[in-house]
Amino acid sequence: MTITITDFLVAFGVAFCGWALQTSVSGITRKTVARMQKRYGPKWYQNFRDIFKLLNKRAITHGWVYDFGVIMALAGIIGTAMFTPVANIVVFKGYDNFFVFVYLFAVGMLGMAMSASGSGNPLASIGVMRALTQMVGYEVPFMVIVLALIHVRDTSSISALVDIQQASGWNLVVMPIGTIVGFICLMGMLGKKPFDTYIAPAELASGPMVEYGGKQLGMLMIMHEIATFVEISLFVNLFLGGGSNILEFLVKYFIVYTLASYVSNVLGRFKIDQVVTFYYKIPILLALIQAGMLVIFGWGV
Amino acid sequence: MTILTIIIALIVLSFATYYITKINNQVGAYTTVVVTLAALVIFLLEGDKLSGASSIGILRFSVTPLAWFFSIIMLIVYSMVAFFNPYWMKKILHPGAYNMLFLLSLAGTIGVFFAENFIVMFIFWEIVVWASMFIIPFGKSRTASVVYYAMSTFGSFTFLYAIFMLYANYGTFVIKDSLEAAKGDANIAIAAFILMLLAGFIKLGIFPFHIWLPMAHGNAPDTFSPILSGGLVKLGAFLTILITTLLPIHEVTKDQAYIFGVPILIYVLMIFGAISIVVGTLMAIKQDDAKKLLAYSSVANGGYILIGILLYDEMALSGALIHIFGHAIASATAFLTIAAVSYRTGTTKMSELGGMIHKMPITYVVYLMAIISMAGIPPMTGFISKWLLFQALADQGMFFIATTMFFGSIGSFLYVFRPLSVLFLGQLKPEHKTVKEAPIGMLIPMVILSGITLFYGVLPNSLVEYTAKIESALGFDKVIETSALVIQGNNGDLHAPLITGIFAFGFIIALIIFLIAPKSRKVGLMDTYTAGEFLYTPSLYHAGYAYYAPFERLYQKHPNIVALFAALVQKVKDFGKFIRFVFFSRWPGRGVMFIILTMILLMWGEKL
Repeated sequence: MTITITDFLVAFGVAFCGWALQTSVSGITRKTVARMQKRYGPKWYQNFRDIFKLLNKRAITHGWVYDFGVIMALAGIIGTAMFTPVANIVVFKGYDNFFVFVYLFAVGMLGMAMSASGSGNPLASIGVMRALTQMVGYEVPFMVIVLALIHVRDTSSISALVDIQQASGWNLVVMPIGTIVGFICLMGMLGKKPFDTYIAPAELASGPMVEYGGKQLGMLMIMHEIATFVEISLFVNLFLGGGSNILEFLVKYFIVYTLASYVSNVLGRFKIDQVVTFYYKIPILLALIQAGMLVIFGWGV
Repeated sequence: MTILTIIIALIVLSFATYYITKINNQVGAYTTVVVTLAALVIFLLEGDKLSGASSIGILRFSVTPLAWFFSIIMLIVYSMVAFFNPYWMKKILHPGAYNMLFLLSLAGTIGVFFAENFIVMFIFWEIVVWASMFIIPFGKSRTASVVYYAMSTFGSFTFLYAIFMLYANYGTFVIKDSLEAAKGDANIAIAAFILMLLAGFIKLGIFPFHIWLPMAHGNAPDTFSPILSGGLVKLGAFLTILITTLLPIHEVTKDQAYIFGVPILIYVLMIFGAISIVVGTLMAIKQDDAKKLLAYSSVANGGYILIGILLYDEMALSGALIHIFGHAIASATAFLTIAAVSYRTGTTKMSELGGMIHKMPITYVVYLMAIISMAGIPPMTGFISKWLLFQALADQGMFFIATTMFFGSIGSFLYVFRPLSVLFLGQLKPEHKTVKEAPIGMLIPMVILSGITLFYGVLPNSLVEYTAKIESALGFDKVIETSALVIQGNNGDLHAPLITGIFAFGFIIALIIFLIAPKSRKVGLMDTYTAGEFLYTPSLYHAGYAYYAPFERLYQKHPNIVALFAALVQKVKDFGKFIRFVFFSRWPGRGVMFIILTMILLMWGEKL
C-alpha cells in the first residue's frame, strides 16, 4: 500500500473531527451533569469558547522546554488520533497497530510531563509523578487483556479487530470480564474520578496544569480533548465492535463517554497509593483470569 | 585484515598506551580515541567479510554475522566513550593503567565474539573480567569491584566446568562441534547449557545475580559506567544467544512438558528474566543516584533480552538483537550525559541537582532522546525492539511473562523520567548558577549516539535485515521479513517511517498553532504560583527528594536479596573458621595427626 499526501490530510481530518466531536460531547455532558446536580450549567459549546479565548490571550512562558513540551504533547496526540480508525474510515489500514497506539500516545504524555516539570513549580512535578504512577496502574491490566485478544485473533491491527467483531460478534460478548477491566482502565486513562488524583484541583492546584495559561493552556485543552477521543475510540473499537457506519460509532462513543462521566460524578477520589493498590488487586486479577480463559481454554472464541 | 591481527594490535597498543600516558596523559587519552575509532572504521569498511583465517596454535577465530554485529555495538560504545577519557585523566588515580585496561577490555570482548573454540573464548572472557575489575576501583568503591569479581568468578568456574565437561565427553573444544555433538545426549546438553548460561546470567545481571550491576555501574569511574552498561553486560547476551541457538536448546528439551508452547525448562529460565524486569524496575524507581538508577534499568533490560532470546523464534530473536543494539546505545548515551553533568557539578545524586537544562541544554536533549529509546517510545530504536518482542509474546500467548514485561515497560516511564524531572528540569540551585554546557569534545559523541538511536528508530529496516542474516547464519528455518519500509510481524505490520512522518505532521500542525497565537512573555522560574506565599529559596522549591515517595511506600518492606548473599558469605566464613579450628589449631598434635591421616589416605591410593 502506498501512502500519499491525501492519506495524511484525510487522517488529519479524522483528528480534527475527533477534536470537534469530543469537545461537543464533553460540553453536552457538562450540561447534563449540571442538570442532575440541579445547576443550570454552561452552553454545550462552552469548551470551544474556552479554547479560542485561551489561544488569543497573551501568556507567560518559563523557558523553551515549557513551550516545546506543549508542542510535542499536541503533536504526539494528533499523531495518535490520525491512526485512529473511525467506523469505516480507516486511513492507514494494517498499520494501526495497538502497540503503536500505546507508545505514540506516550510521546504526547511525555511532552506534557516534560513541559509541566519545566515550569519549575513543584506542584506540577508532584502532579506528573502522580500521573505516571497512575499509568503503571491502568496500563498493565489493559495491555494484558489486549494481548490475549491479539493472541486469539492473530492480529494487532485495530481495524482488523473491528472487522472480526463485525463478522462474529462484539468482544463485549466474547470477553465480558475483559470489557469490565477495559472500562475500569479507561476511567484511569481519562483521569475521571476516582482516578483524578493527578489533577486533584483542591490538593495540587490542578497538578501538571498549575502554571499554564493562554495559548499553552489552550493547546493542552485541545490535546486533552483529542486524547479523550483516542481513548474512547480505542475502547469502542476494541470491545464494542467499532461501527459499521459513522452513526453507529457515534452512538457507542456517546454512550461510553457519558457513562464514564456519570460514574465519575458519583464517586470520591482515591489517594495515589490507593489507585495503584486498587489496580493491582482487582483489575489485574480479572485481566489474568480473562486472559487465561481466552488463551488456555479458548472460551468464547 | 584478520581478526588475529586486530586483536594483537589492540593488545600491543594497549600496553603502548600505558607508556604514552606515563609521558603525557592527554596524548595517552587521545590514543584510546584514535585506536578505538580506527578499529571501528576497519570493522565498518571490511564488513563481515573480515578474515578469521590466520591463527597461532589454538588461537583460532571464525567470523560470523552475530560476532560482527556485537563487535560493531561494542566498538561504537567504546569509541564514543573514549572521547570522554581526556577529561577524566586528572580525576582518575592511575590514568596510565586506566587507558591500558580500557583498550585491553576491548581486545578481550572482540576475542570473545570471534573465538572459534571455547578455550579461546574463556581466555578472552577472563581478560575482560580482569581488565574491568581493575578499572572499577578507580571510581568510588573497592567493595563494588570485589562483589563484581566474586560474581564473575562464580560464572567463570561454571563456564569452565561446562567446557571441560563437553571436552571430556566429545573430545573437542570447537564451539560448533562440541555443541553439535552434545545434541545427542539431552542430559549432558542441558547440564552444559545451564552451567554456561549461569556465566551469561551473571554478566547480563539476571536476578538473583543482579546485585553487582548497581554496585559496579554506580561506583565505577563515570567514563567506564557506559562501557559496563552498554558494552560488557552484553557479553552475557552474546553467550546466551550462542548456546541457545547453536545447541539449540528447544530441540534438546523437546521431550519435556510444555507450558505456553515452550518446554518447562525454558519457561522457568524466562521467569528469571521476568523477575529481573520487575526487580530492576522497582529498584530503579527508588534510586536517588542517577547512575544506580540506570544500572537497575540495565537489569530490567537484561530481562527483556533474555526473554527475547529464549522465546526462540525469528521475531523474538530479532527483537532481542535490536534491543541489545538499542539499549547499548541508549544506555551508554544516558550514562554519558550523567557523566557530563557529574564533570561539571561533581555529583550524580539527583536530589543535589536541578534545573540543569538552563545550563546544559544540549546534554538535556541528548538525555531526552536516550530515554525515549529506553522507554520504547517511537521514533527511537527502543520502540522497534519492544514492538517485535510484544509481537512474539502475543503470538505465543504468554500472558504472565507479558504482564511483567508491560509492567517493566510502563515502569520505565517512571524511572527514566525521574532524572529528567529532578536533575534537568525544575529549579536551578544557586550553587550551579555558574555551571557551563559540557565541553565540545563530550557533546560530539553524545550527539552522534543520539543520531544513531534516532536513525534506526526511523529506518530500522537495514538493522532488521541484518538480524535476518544473523538468524539464517544461526540455522533458523524462517527469518524475519522486511520489505523496503515495513517490518512484517506475525500479527501485524510496523511502518516505522510512517509513524515518524505522522508525528512530524502533528508537530508541524502544533507548531503552526503555537506560532499563530500571541507571543508569550518570559518569566523567571521562581515567578510561579505559590498559593500566595513568598518564597526566596529555589533549592527548597524543587520536588526532588524521594520523587516517587507514595509509590515507593507500597514496597518499602520488600525482601532484600543482598541479605541472602550476606548470609551466604557468613556461612562460608563460618565454614572457614571451622576448618581453621580443626586443622590449624594451636595444639600441634592435631595438625600432625591430620597430616599423617592424609598421608595414609594418599598411600592407600585408589583402592579406597
